[in-house]
Amino acid sequence: MKKGKHRVSFFIDLFTSCPTIVLMNNEKLLISSLKSDDPIVIKKFYEENKKGFVFFASRYQLDQEAITDIYQDAVIALIENAKKGSIDDLKSSLSTYLFGIGKFMIYKKLKKDKRTISIDDGEFPEVAFDMYEEEEINLQLALLRKGLKKLGEQCQKVLQLFYYEEKKLDEIQELLDYTNKDVLKSQKSRCLKQLKEIIKER
Amino acid sequence: MEQEEYIRKYFEGDLSEEEALAFQKLLKEDTAVAAAFEFEKNVKKAITLNKRKALKETFKAYEKPKKSYKWLYAAASIAVLVGLFTWNSFYSTNYDSLYNQYYQTYPNTIAPTVRGTGTTDLKSEAFFAYDTGDYETALSLFTKIYKSTSEDYALFYKGISLMELEQYEDALAVFNNGVFEENSIFKSYSRWYAALSYLKLENKAAATAVLESLTKSENPQREAAIKLLARLE
Repeated sequence: MKKGKHRVSFFIDLFTSCPTIVLMNNEKLLISSLKSDDPIVIKKFYEENKKGFVFFASRYQLDQEAITDIYQDAVIALIENAKKGSIDDLKSSLSTYLFGIGKFMIYKKLKKDKRTISIDDGEFPEVAFDMYEEEEINLQLALLRKGLKKLGEQCQKVLQLFYYEEKKLDEIQELLDYTNKDVLKSQKSRCLKQLKEIIKER
Repeated sequence: MEQEEYIRKYFEGDLSEEEALAFQKLLKEDTAVAAAFEFEKNVKKAITLNKRKALKETFKAYEKPKKSYKWLYAAASIAVLVGLFTWNSFYSTNYDSLYNQYYQTYPNTIAPTVRGTGTTDLKSEAFFAYDTGDYETALSLFTKIYKSTSEDYALFYKGISLMELEQYEDALAVFNNGVFEENSIFKSYSRWYAALSYLKLENKAAATAVLESLTKSENPQREAAIKLLARLE
């Protein structure tokens, strides 16, 4: 009896999850496009979700410029997390996730502006993200931002994959087709040394 | 574990709890390691902030209203149209204005309207209607009169009435096909009004032809025909 029930419920689950699977596949495709910096996909995603977000954000008494600003930051955060692989197993839709990030950012902004907030705390995104405070007075950071642009392409690639996309060396070795991990390690080490030299020259 | 390994594992997210604690201790005790670690953290921040800025610039570009040439094309089209219209007005024959300059309702020279004399014959009625601008009535009355009397004045005034009623084609039919007495004043005037009807109908060729024939014979409208012809050229 139990077996039979399981079999039936299995098929029911499979059947009802079919449209969800299709949706998920589209979302997966979208995520991989975002990971690869596809400009057309990014633009489309940006434009498709903007209206809804602006409408959603309008209840919080922020001017259009601020809303657009937050929206852009939210999309950026989403792309970043996509690249880090943090949303590969996202349960909700990308749009929901995006709105979650935006909501969080609105909350932070209102808090910063010391405004009274009436946001339901429970609905923040599953995946967190780093909001670096750019106002940090960090000379080395400023120099590095400039200096990075002077690095060679290969170095930029390696460092980006390791530090920005948070990939492990094993993965990077495969991606960039290095003979072995040690070769990659020494390359990365050389790149960092180069960077140090670049920022020393003031 | 070497310091480099600790740092690498940190960024790869592979530090176990024990390793993390050991790493923290190391950072406190060894300033060189702390500096190296700080450096790499800054590298991470720098790359991230640069990437974010680049994306932000891209998004700002989306928001910028695109340079639209729509208005330019619209304005240009209007300019062209206005130009054409103006050119057209100046250089092409303005039939209407010419017509208005040269057309005059032919006066009642037959039966000066005298009211209250008691006579209510068709002729007086027709001319009364004509003089008071009731060209509809005048038209029907003149038509009646011509049917019964075949007098050419009735035909002529019928034609003029038709012109007043802006039925230029019918007026032309009257003036062209109607039989007017040779050397009667109505004959030459019927040619004149025919020419004017052609003019109003913008039939330059026909109007010119009729006007030319008018210039070649003696008639009260010869001068006018010459002038109008000149304007038409």
